[in-house]
Amino acid sequence: MGNPKIMSHLFRHQYGKMIAALTRIFGPSKLEIIEDAVQDTFIKAMVAWREGIPENPEGWLMTAAKNRAIDLFRKLSADEKRVLKIDSGTSAIALGEVFLESEIDDAQLRMIFMACHPSINPRDQIAFALKTISGFSSKEIASALLLKDETIKKRLVRARKSIASLDLEFKIPQGADLPPRLNRVLEVLYLIFNEGFHSGRKEILVRKELCGEALRFCQMLLNNPFTKTPDAYALFALMCFHSARLESKVNAQNEIVDLKNQDRSKWYFPLVAIGNEAMSNAVESGEFSTYHYEAAIAAEHLKAKSFEATDWEKILQYYKQLFEINPTVFNMLNIAIVKLQIGKLDKAFQNLEKIQPSDLEQRAYLYFGTKAEYYILKGDKKKAISSIEEALKLVKNDVEKAYLQRKKQRWENQEA
Amino acid sequence: MKDFMLIFVGTSYEAMDLSPEEMQKRYGNWFQWQQKMEADGVVMKGGHALHSGVRQVSGPDRKITNRTLTDSTSAEVKELVGGYYIVSAKDIEHATEIAQGYPDYDIGGTVEIREIMVFNR
Repeated sequence: MGNPKIMSHLFRHQYGKMIAALTRIFGPSKLEIIEDAVQDTFIKAMVAWREGIPENPEGWLMTAAKNRAIDLFRKLSADEKRVLKIDSGTSAIALGEVFLESEIDDAQLRMIFMACHPSINPRDQIAFALKTISGFSSKEIASALLLKDETIKKRLVRARKSIASLDLEFKIPQGADLPPRLNRVLEVLYLIFNEGFHSGRKEILVRKELCGEALRFCQMLLNNPFTKTPDAYALFALMCFHSARLESKVNAQNEIVDLKNQDRSKWYFPLVAIGNEAMSNAVESGEFSTYHYEAAIAAEHLKAKSFEATDWEKILQYYKQLFEINPTVFNMLNIAIVKLQIGKLDKAFQNLEKIQPSDLEQRAYLYFGTKAEYYILKGDKKKAISSIEEALKLVKNDVEKAYLQRKKQRWENQEA
Repeated sequence: MKDFMLIFVGTSYEAMDLSPEEMQKRYGNWFQWQQKMEADGVVMKGGHALHSGVRQVSGPDRKITNRTLTDSTSAEVKELVGGYYIVSAKDIEHATEIAQGYPDYDIGGTVEIREIMVFNR
């Protein structure tokens, strides 16, 4: 933006901080009023700041939002007020302290855990997190996830209702409760990341924002002594490694570029360095999660100077270890893909035979795309083309569809 | 030089459900307009933004108690005056040129330009 004195995304990031801090004071059941108060505050700032930005814009916003929330609560009917209980339990802290930087971080972390609470529908969790922590509007979430605005609005209402009706606590789980809850948080962050990374959206900006938010949330976990676990570090590393390649995944014509043809000079190596550092923290304990293996595989790709120089044997090894702790059809498919790369065609086919394409759900096209690759390597162009046609029938994402179509055309034009 | 009032008419931000990102962008545009006027040496003599609540007083009756009072909010008023600036300009053309920088045309905003009358004392 043209205004040098105000940080980009200040409003959006501040939105999440203000919501979290106010939720800490007024409680999660009052989220709707809190969101209104924060919205009103930004509208006020838009006008009040026209002649100049205040010394401390974050502080200005936070104070204005707090006052606005108190205002709105005053306007509530006596009945509604009776239900309102300001958090005064053991977790209560002095009002002034809620707005300290460290307490705001803590409040945002609580918000992440609440968003990923097991009693909230998983699909609602992503929408709710993007709204409440990232400050996206329902319209922006809908556009990023390629869904209807109405759908997102419904999910947000449902999430808020679950939170209020279950009277969810606004806190970071402790002791034995923490590990399973943290696992779910990591899963949701990875889902948000993948929405960006594998998005069917052509606009790289939207995709970068989703990936960026997942990274930002994960960074919040790493800033807290209880949540900076090896798995969290590994997920962070994994997302850094993938993000480094984001720019080169799509060319100027908005076409997908596969790993083989990516311009490796476009990979963003500062992010790789950050990922490497996180990885060294992640492996300290010697216990490896799926994120560890996935990060190791991504790192291996980044290490290779060219596609041909890729150490496929090592990658295959990692995939096998990954499959041992997480025997999914996706990992089986990846094993088959790597085996094709190193010319173990028949072994790859054996893996493919073990996969039921419908188990891959909306990614079933990947199975047929891989099968097509197998046939082309075998020299059976006819079967390759019929497999890729199968894939084309199933693929929904326009960018990937175009990619498969180009491949098919190339094969058709090749001399037999 | 004459004084002109630029009156901003349009829907209010409250009614628009803008996202924080959109609000920051829109705010930045206003700030830029202000900066541009400053750089161009436009003398701004004043201006205010207005709250969105509107009370209308009407009724031909002379008796105050017979007048009608109507309260409405921005969402109900289509042609809401959101604020105004008073600027110095050579003539109406110059004032129009200044008004081109108003940032909310894209959301249906309008600028009304009125020359301020000067009375001989």
